[in-house]
Amino acid sequence: MALTITCPICGKRNGYEFRFGGEEKGPRPVEKDLTPQSWCDYVHMNNCVAGVQEEWWFHKDGCGSWFSIYRDTTTNYEVEKMEVANNEQA
Amino acid sequence: MFSKQKPLWGKKKKLKSSYDVVLIGGGLHNLATAYYLAKEHGITDIAIIEKNYIGYGGAGRNTAIVRANQRTQHNVPLYKEALDLWPVLTKELDFNLMFNNCGNLNLLHSEAAMKAARMTIATAQFHGVESHLIDAKEAKKLVPSLNISDDITFPIHGAMFHPPGGIVRHDAVVWGLAKGAAQYGAEIHQQTEALAIGTKDGKVTSVTTSEGVINTKQVLISAGAYSAGLISGMLGIKLPISVLTIQAMVTQPLKPLLNHVVSSGAYHCYANQTLKGEIATGAHMDPWPNYTTLSTAHFIKHQAEALSEFLPCLKGLRFMRIWGGLADMTPDMAPILDGNDQFEGFFMNCGWGYFGFKSCSVAGKYMAEFMATNKCPDILKPFALKRYEEHKLMGETAALVNYSPDN
Ligand SMILES: Cc1cc2nc3c(=O)[nH]c(=O)nc-3n(C[C@H](O)[C@H](O)[C@H](O)COP(=O)(O)OP(=O)(O)OC[C@H]3O[C@@H](n4cnc5c(N)ncnc54)[C@H](O)[C@@H]3O)c2cc1C
Ligand SMILES: [Zn+2]
Repeated sequence: MALTITCPICGKRNGYEFRFGGEEKGPRPVEKDLTPQSWCDYVHMNNCVAGVQEEWWFHKDGCGSWFSIYRDTTTNYEVEKMEVANNEQA
Repeated sequence: MFSKQKPLWGKKKKLKSSYDVVLIGGGLHNLATAYYLAKEHGITDIAIIEKNYIGYGGAGRNTAIVRANQRTQHNVPLYKEALDLWPVLTKELDFNLMFNNCGNLNLLHSEAAMKAARMTIATAQFHGVESHLIDAKEAKKLVPSLNISDDITFPIHGAMFHPPGGIVRHDAVVWGLAKGAAQYGAEIHQQTEALAIGTKDGKVTSVTTSEGVINTKQVLISAGAYSAGLISGMLGIKLPISVLTIQAMVTQPLKPLLNHVVSSGAYHCYANQTLKGEIATGAHMDPWPNYTTLSTAHFIKHQAEALSEFLPCLKGLRFMRIWGGLADMTPDMAPILDGNDQFEGFFMNCGWGYFGFKSCSVAGKYMAEFMATNKCPDILKPFALKRYEEHKLMGETAALVNYSPDN
């Protein structure tokens, strides 16, 4: 099995039950003063990190929750938020 | 790698402290760019910087399908020129690229798909690319082992037949281009990682590598699916790319039974028979971004199920080998070729997804022209990164690509 995801409601489940929902990009930009560039940034642009990233998932074959996790894109393993924070400090 | 013979691209050289041009990534696109920079434009002071070995990336992992029946008017001419270049390059490089123009048969499983294919075919014919719509019976004549009965999950309504496409040997293209570029003096530095790009006043000044700093005014990142992460990490330029693992496999060898490349969008599956007799078959991508290149049971099962439905004579065959590589997908299924925009002297060529093999020669040719003249060739203009914020997406796919199991 290549991937498991931990749903905040259902717990750790087979990754194929979920739908990937994109890199975490912060809140949707406010409409006022929105430029084509900032909208494009939000809609299309990614960091494509080879390493740990925060990202969204949807439990489509489960409870229907949307939530974010941290995952290492080079291993597919979920990572605790604490570990990420510690790495950033180091 | 371990032989005593010196490689086709010459002995290992010491990295110099400056080059006219630095190309990051030792895949097909940069090898082709180096070849054309030297051959067409007399620029030979070139360093190709490769972290592992040439052919490590998609260059050595792809399923080698070539064709020119894309959807839009900007893409078709580019792929047509690439297709026409295989025999030319075979001669020029004096290297047998094993171009087998056996033709591609794209199966269509609904009336809607037939309708969409009619438009694609009209575009191809308009651009002088041979492509026809055929019905299920005609498809069966071309590939007698095809199951055209209606008791399968996706019954076959017809097919888009593209006779000039086929298969090219991917390793031969790597070796041939490397040899060609090296003959003109381009240096290939393997086991050398690019770490950073230096800029000053909006201009490229240097590239830092694991073997030292190189002063240069021009750098091109064309590192296959690694490009987006490198470009965002080194220069903070974000790209509309998702990097996904894509898998392929070959079966045990068989007597000849499949003399066309057969593909099916509905089954997410394509197959062709190699000259050795194996059925080489490719699957869809992992539905979430990752750099693992791991093969999964999920796709072995998927592939076995799909193949045994539309080519039932393959039922019970064994897969001999399976492997994975990366595909850098854009929302409009078209690549990004750009330069001298965010930084003077910075060029990029990426986002080819799983189309980067068939296109490598032509992309290299025009990127070379772009870098040598500092003027974007007309044929590349529609592929600039700006198209996304101008909302001029290419329309290679009918709907925005969404990375989910549904596509
Ligand atoms: C399984 C599979 C099937 C495919 N099938 C087809 C097909 O049938 N037809 C088709 O047209 N395309 C296909 N493709 C796509 C095609 O292989 C790629 O689009 C293409 O090879 C990528 O371009 P490239 O060869 O220039 O780069 P790659 O070969 O991917 O080269 C990138 C190189 O960059 C190097 N690199 C990474 N980071 C650094 C760094 N920091 N410094 C220096 N070097 C670095 C890597 O080591 C690698 O060698 C397939 C891909 C896969 C994985
Ligand atoms: Zn759940």
